[in-house]
Amino acid sequence: MRYISWTWFWYVVIGFLLGGGVVYLWSVLKQKAVKLVWYEWVLFILSGFFFIFLGQTFIASFQENESQAAWMSLVFMGIPILIMMVGAFRSLGPRLKKT
Amino acid sequence: MSEPRKKFYHSTVSRRDFMKMLGLGSVGMGATALGFSSKMPFADLDEMKSSEFSDRKLPFWVKEVDEPTVEINWDELEVFPGLQNTMFNPMTFGLEDAQKVNQIRVEKVRNDIINKTPGYSIQDHALNSASAYGWLDGKFEPPWTGVEHPPYNPEGWGHTTAYTTPDEIGVPRYEGTPDENSKMIRVADRIMGAADTGFVKLDERTKKLLYGNIVFEDVEEGYMDPEKHINVLPNKDLWVICSVIPQSLTMGSYTDRMSWAGANAYAYSRANIYSSRIKMFLRGLGYQQYGSATTGVGRAVGFGVMAGLAEYCRASIMVSPQFGTSFRTVLLTVTDLPLAVTKPIDAGITNFCKVCKKCGEECPSGAINMDTEPQWPNWAAGEKPNVSRGIKGWFLDTKKCLTQMFSGEPDCSRCQVVCPFNKYDSAVMHDLVRLSISNAPALNSMIRKLDDTFGYGVEKGSNLWDMDPRDIPLFGLDSSRS
Repeated sequence: MRYISWTWFWYVVIGFLLGGGVVYLWSVLKQKAVKLVWYEWVLFILSGFFFIFLGQTFIASFQENESQAAWMSLVFMGIPILIMMVGAFRSLGPRLKKT
Repeated sequence: MSEPRKKFYHSTVSRRDFMKMLGLGSVGMGATALGFSSKMPFADLDEMKSSEFSDRKLPFWVKEVDEPTVEINWDELEVFPGLQNTMFNPMTFGLEDAQKVNQIRVEKVRNDIINKTPGYSIQDHALNSASAYGWLDGKFEPPWTGVEHPPYNPEGWGHTTAYTTPDEIGVPRYEGTPDENSKMIRVADRIMGAADTGFVKLDERTKKLLYGNIVFEDVEEGYMDPEKHINVLPNKDLWVICSVIPQSLTMGSYTDRMSWAGANAYAYSRANIYSSRIKMFLRGLGYQQYGSATTGVGRAVGFGVMAGLAEYCRASIMVSPQFGTSFRTVLLTVTDLPLAVTKPIDAGITNFCKVCKKCGEECPSGAINMDTEPQWPNWAAGEKPNVSRGIKGWFLDTKKCLTQMFSGEPDCSRCQVVCPFNKYDSAVMHDLVRLSISNAPALNSMIRKLDDTFGYGVEKGSNLWDMDPRDIPLFGLDSSRS
């Protein structure tokens, strides 16, 4: 057992990224007075869920000495996250610009 | 009043801790979770065995079933005559051939050391020898009739209970319900070195899984008859304690083959020590205990499957839902302590083997059967002495396997290393994959392909001796998997 394990640090980074993203989205929506429609909620929640899952898999795969699995998970889960996020922001875009 | 039990015993961030941290929804609270105490809040063994942790809790994707996933024709099932016919005994293919193979092995070892072949250096061989201490020499191997030991220093100062039976102390033997007894054994097993435990009652079916040199007689206690080459068990209610002896996946993850051989040998050595300990434990409770080393009682795979510790797989060995193939054996101890039997399991493993075939593809000797479906044996009697009829399975060509191991790569074990169930347990993804294998077999083929794509089972080319010692779990056993 290492005297200091830095694994926790990367989990904290994931927490900050996710928390920061949620706070940013919430503040933009509040500032622009835009409400999300149901499928945008679904896309953002699914993206968040996949982001957490990806983060855990990515970090844990390095812990397991499986670097190829880590990078492949980034591709296999990162692309769906990107697609969902792009879809959600493209749907939101016109309303954000109007206000 | 004792303190309320704490749920966390480790201070590292495990996968479960991580999920709990997410549940709390706060990075700050997650960081706080790092500092939970590791104090074990049990006052005694009775309290520990009655705790919620002592129940056998199968992973959520594993189902208990009435019959094992490997088909067994109990009427046709042949009894193994004895140790000489077990799967990995070179005597099954003749003394002359076995000696030839062994001679090649000696030459190979010498040449590898002289040529400094990576993974076969003199320090690799020395580590393997050190790991085997207590196994091959049989020094820790208990006798068939259990451990006998005089009380510790009875005449002078001595521990009043060390090595004593209830009779010797003058107290009645331990009594409990089968359920309580099973929990107690499970708790003791964890402390003594078994990762998981199951229990099989000896009946007309399961007696066929004992070796043929074991017979039953109307006697109070069992005994060994070296002249007749038989081991005798008493005709009474008997149970078999089936204990999973874990093996170091860390050592197996490093490509040096001697490192993996050392993981094997070390697990066998621990199995012998465990075997003596469980027998001392039963003796101390006032119950009979029979068995010896890993080859003492009967078929480890048969009892392991019937006890629900694992499923039968393509490589003719066991795959556990928790440990994959990274456990050395299911060590068997026969006792008259009443136990609550555990049922076979179905985690979709045998079914997955039908499409996976990764072990067979990676096997350098071609010893593993590549038929999609398991088959009932149809060879002539005596043609394959190390395989018995009555099991619908994939049967290993042990001569090819042993020749490869003895003359090519000591303790090759590639079939174990590459098995998709053989994973560390840090990533949540592995549990989801196992859930899918258990419930959605249509995805098995895709899962096998993804296992390759993600690079699992591929040798990383790293060297055990280059590791930071702090990265090696104590005794090589990673706690996240057990």
